[in-house]
Amino acid sequence: MKALSQSVPLIKRAYWLINLRWIAIFFVCAGTFFSSKILVISLQDVILYSIAGLLLVYNTVVLFLLNYYIKKNHVIRRPAVRGVINFQISADLLILTFLIHFSGGIENPFVFYFIFHMIISSILLSVKESYLQATFAVLLFGLMLLLEYKGPILHHCLEGFISNCHQQGGRYIIGFYFAFTTAMYLVVYMANYISTRLKKAEQAHRGANVLLCKKDRIKDEYVLRLTHDIKGHLAAIQSCLDVVNRKLVGPLNTEQADFVKRATERTRKVTNFVKALLRLTRIRLDSKITMEYFSLKDTINSVIDSARRRAQKGSLSLSCNIEPSVDKIYGSQLSIEEMIMNLLLNAIKYTPENGKVSLTATSTDHSVLVEIIDTGIGIPKDELCHVFEEFYRGSNARKIEKDGTGLGLSIASQIVERHDGKIGVESEEGKGTRLWFTLPKDERVSHDSSVETIPEEFEY
Amino acid sequence: MANAKILIVDDDVDFTEALKVILQSEQYEVISANTREKGMEMLKSEKPDLAILDVMMATWQDGFEMARELKKDPECKDIRLLMLTGVKDKTGIEFKSTAGDPTWCPVDCFLDKPVEPEILLAEINKLLQIKA
Repeated sequence: MKALSQSVPLIKRAYWLINLRWIAIFFVCAGTFFSSKILVISLQDVILYSIAGLLLVYNTVVLFLLNYYIKKNHVIRRPAVRGVINFQISADLLILTFLIHFSGGIENPFVFYFIFHMIISSILLSVKESYLQATFAVLLFGLMLLLEYKGPILHHCLEGFISNCHQQGGRYIIGFYFAFTTAMYLVVYMANYISTRLKKAEQAHRGANVLLCKKDRIKDEYVLRLTHDIKGHLAAIQSCLDVVNRKLVGPLNTEQADFVKRATERTRKVTNFVKALLRLTRIRLDSKITMEYFSLKDTINSVIDSARRRAQKGSLSLSCNIEPSVDKIYGSQLSIEEMIMNLLLNAIKYTPENGKVSLTATSTDHSVLVEIIDTGIGIPKDELCHVFEEFYRGSNARKIEKDGTGLGLSIASQIVERHDGKIGVESEEGKGTRLWFTLPKDERVSHDSSVETIPEEFEY
Repeated sequence: MANAKILIVDDDVDFTEALKVILQSEQYEVISANTREKGMEMLKSEKPDLAILDVMMATWQDGFEMARELKKDPECKDIRLLMLTGVKDKTGIEFKSTAGDPTWCPVDCFLDKPVEPEILLAEINKLLQIKA
């Protein structure tokens, strides 16, 4: 049985315990003040406040130790943290016993609060440990009752609350103690039961997730292999058609030439489609692409130069505005260049004659923002959320380009995601589109460095 | 360069035949092999001026290993090598940048399949001019 739910890291729970203790300290002080001054019940307030003070110091020390430990270590060793949590809970039980002793012992209804500690231990600790803590609590309380009853320790009466306190005879105390003990163990049993069920459900959920990711990967690898083979066949078809096209194996009459030309065109189109699909699938499978610092400014400028001719063909005005602070960023130069080219060509393709396409690049402290704005056909409002999906093509796009792959934007979003950036689009049908993406300037520390992926060291 | 001898080593028969016709129309003498073993044999016996090697035949190393072997052989090391591949998109490796790396990829030129005949012919021309 896994002792801790993996969805909430161990460290978060350690902080939770510390926070609970702040609340407890507050209530001890408030409760003591209220009972002593307002209800005028006789309490050992000085001692109670001192214990609260002790709790304050102890909690602060634990907090600092935890912060220090986290800062020093990148890999959190679970047994160490759990050992500390165990120690804290035992210490809490000891302090609670003292608090109860100095505020009426068996007559203090707040004896119930032992139950909270049992619930907390069942959540934070393993089954064995929570039972051990229960036993410790039961022994502590029993010892307190015994010593108060037999004499060496004074039983503090809550005058103003209980009349005739020393009336409790041995029978009552034993009866009370029995109920207390059984309650403690039952609470641990039930809390563990619920906790275990929850953890099992979470584990099943996580397992299903992992399986899903694995299957997705298998699918991608299959698609990769398949498309690669298809591409091989297409290459052969293309070459054979080229031979006939160039009349190298005999003359062609007009009709023959026409049909061979159609076949060649279609082959070229499907080859491009397969290439795009291969590219997308490979990006999805590749967990590492070569990243380095490169000049985004130079990359954008070279893309603009290449795209200018295409823009001029459609009598479009192409403008480019790069803020001087935009220069070097960390990433894959090839992928980013290809992506920007793709997005720019898209804008050009879907903007009617005499329209405008503009690219702007600005930067903040940590990232750059690139926007490509056009006065093109736009994207229908209800389709905006789908544009980054694989193979999705806008309904109005087909009129301009019958055979687009629908992969350009999903490839772009994969690349942006891989760089830890964000991508988005705003558009109005018939008016134009604004496509933007952000890229971090610097290398991001990988996500899986710290607490989240502690290897499971405890297994019962 | 007219009458230069070109050897094609590729396991795709259809592609090889089409390529043969295209090259022959430019007056090259073309021979072909469709396994690595046959290819090595013909390279040594025929001593072509240029060889077009497919990267992946039986295994994906075939092309590279052939190239390396050839460069070690004193009689064959002057044969111009051009590699054709469909493997780039599968592995994502930018082969172009490794062309000429004497230890790993000692070929003179790297092209992706499918290749426009014009581009292929231009590259072949370039390589043969270097030799001449």
